[in-house]
Amino acid sequence: MAAVNEAPLANAVLVIDDEPQIRRVVRNALQPMVSRVLEAATAREGMDLAAAEQPALVVLDLGLPDLGGMEVCRDLRSFTAAPIIVLSARHGEREKAALLDAGADDYMTKPFGTLELQARVRAQLRRYTASASASSRVAAGDVEIDLTRRVVTRAGVEVHLTPTEWGLLRAFVAHPGQVLTHNQLFRKVWGGSAGDAQQYLRVYVGQLRRKLESDPIRPQLIRTEPGVGYRFEPRD
Amino acid sequence: MSVTDSSRVTEHAPEGRHPTWRGWPTWLGALVVATILMHAVRARLDEAHVALVFLLVVLGGSAAAGRRLGISLALLAFVAFNWYFVPPYGTLLLANPLDWIVLLTFLVTGIVAAELLDRQRRATRIAEQRADEISRLAKVRDEAEALRRADALKDALLAAVSHDLRTPLTTIKGIAHEIVGGANAERAEIIESEADRLSLLVDDLLEMSQLDAGALPIEIAINTADDLIGAALQRTQGILRGRPVEIDLPEDELLAGRFDFSHALRVIANLVENAVKYSPDSSPIVLGAAVTDGTLSFVVEDSGPGIPEEERDRVFEPFRRGSQIPRGVRGAGLGLSIARRLAEVQGGSLRYEPRPGAGSRFVFSVPAAEATPPE
Repeated sequence: MAAVNEAPLANAVLVIDDEPQIRRVVRNALQPMVSRVLEAATAREGMDLAAAEQPALVVLDLGLPDLGGMEVCRDLRSFTAAPIIVLSARHGEREKAALLDAGADDYMTKPFGTLELQARVRAQLRRYTASASASSRVAAGDVEIDLTRRVVTRAGVEVHLTPTEWGLLRAFVAHPGQVLTHNQLFRKVWGGSAGDAQQYLRVYVGQLRRKLESDPIRPQLIRTEPGVGYRFEPRD
Repeated sequence: MSVTDSSRVTEHAPEGRHPTWRGWPTWLGALVVATILMHAVRARLDEAHVALVFLLVVLGGSAAAGRRLGISLALLAFVAFNWYFVPPYGTLLLANPLDWIVLLTFLVTGIVAAELLDRQRRATRIAEQRADEISRLAKVRDEAEALRRADALKDALLAAVSHDLRTPLTTIKGIAHEIVGGANAERAEIIESEADRLSLLVDDLLEMSQLDAGALPIEIAINTADDLIGAALQRTQGILRGRPVEIDLPEDELLAGRFDFSHALRVIANLVENAVKYSPDSSPIVLGAAVTDGTLSFVVEDSGPGIPEEERDRVFEPFRRGSQIPRGVRGAGLGLSIARRLAEVQGGSLRYEPRPGAGSRFVFSVPAAEATPPE
């Protein structure tokens, strides 16, 4: 397995799922990456474990018998900042977006692959430990972003951005590696005030990509999460 | 008169559920009989007796057949009263002018009684109609409630089926991955890829049943062609496996349209998958978009054999697969059918046309949108 030889990224990861077989698969996938995998079969048990053990990440199944996924997300978010990766057997994009709005950080649709799960967990743990030292200067490929000076360059050449494009880029840079839903972007860029501009969110993202990405059809910086939102992936 | 004829009910028709013409001969007959009987014993009667008997007939007629008969009876009785029972007999003249008081009092009493009885009848009938309406509405509400419950049950069933099928598939994939490194690596890989295939089939069948049930949520928004084609390339990466793809999009302008991104992505991904299956391995696939006359059209082209003319109408039918399927191509024959229905539920269309030269061209069209937003 790809992650076997990596040093543990965190002390403990908590898996909340009522299906013992899924817990087994998740445990076996994550054991090589972390020092401990905690398991809970119900939301109540999971919440107690999360409060007592302070895990660095929570893998949460949506189909728990005792509480809806949305409530568990909100409850967990009320006392821990640890990333929450949701496992769902349903494909509804609206449901995914609602979960992210409720505090989840990422989601995976069943059936998912082991490598994919490991990659997502690794990305969330890195983001979680790095977010404390968020910088105002970001370099991603040949793009450099200086938030304080409001300057963006691509291959050393300054790129002119409109105020809305700046607002969008600032929101993305502040949440690297994280899925931002359309709703979250509306709130961050337009402050939640309804207006004509909001319905053009995807067009503004298109414009930003055409200015920053070397191939806007195959974007590397601003990835699309279909039906849910966008994910900013700065890569050096 | 029909009960449902409400306009007449609220006007002059005191008649309700029962036809009233039957009441007229009876009560006119009663008036004639009362007149004959009283005439026979006129010497022994005074005006009060006559007035009371006639009043009784008027009230009976009003109660049985309504205001119109009541007033008619009152007027007839008024004339008969004057003619036969108020001297001088056989004329409409009055010997004693004070008899006018008796006659007019009788007439007014008769008409007022007829009017009051009629109002009572109408109020009763309106109450009956309201009761009918309430019970009808209750029935409609019960039916709506039953439909809502059936809908909720269907949604719950779809959710349960998708959960129940996908959860064991996750376990199968996970365990297959665990044994990939062992002695049975090849077999484990087959298990994993078959689990993926089964998972795609589950997706197709669930999507089909959601479309059939009209249970597919649709979210129309302004989206760009760049974004959709990019996401389609991302999604079909595994299917394309390095197959050359030519992108045909204008370089200097963004194209935008109003469509549901997830469903449109499924349409394009299914078309790309179809193109990969039915064209030679190394031949390129063209993926493009253009705006003409307020329509944003996405095009997916391949250089395969194309579809014979006689089969073109049927390629969008579920479980239908063409006759020119290359060997080794697998599938349930749902891809194009789902694509067309997904195109249509969001107000778009999907059509086939032969590609000039050779091959197939599928055109997915949606309404175009302004791509220069306000700043």
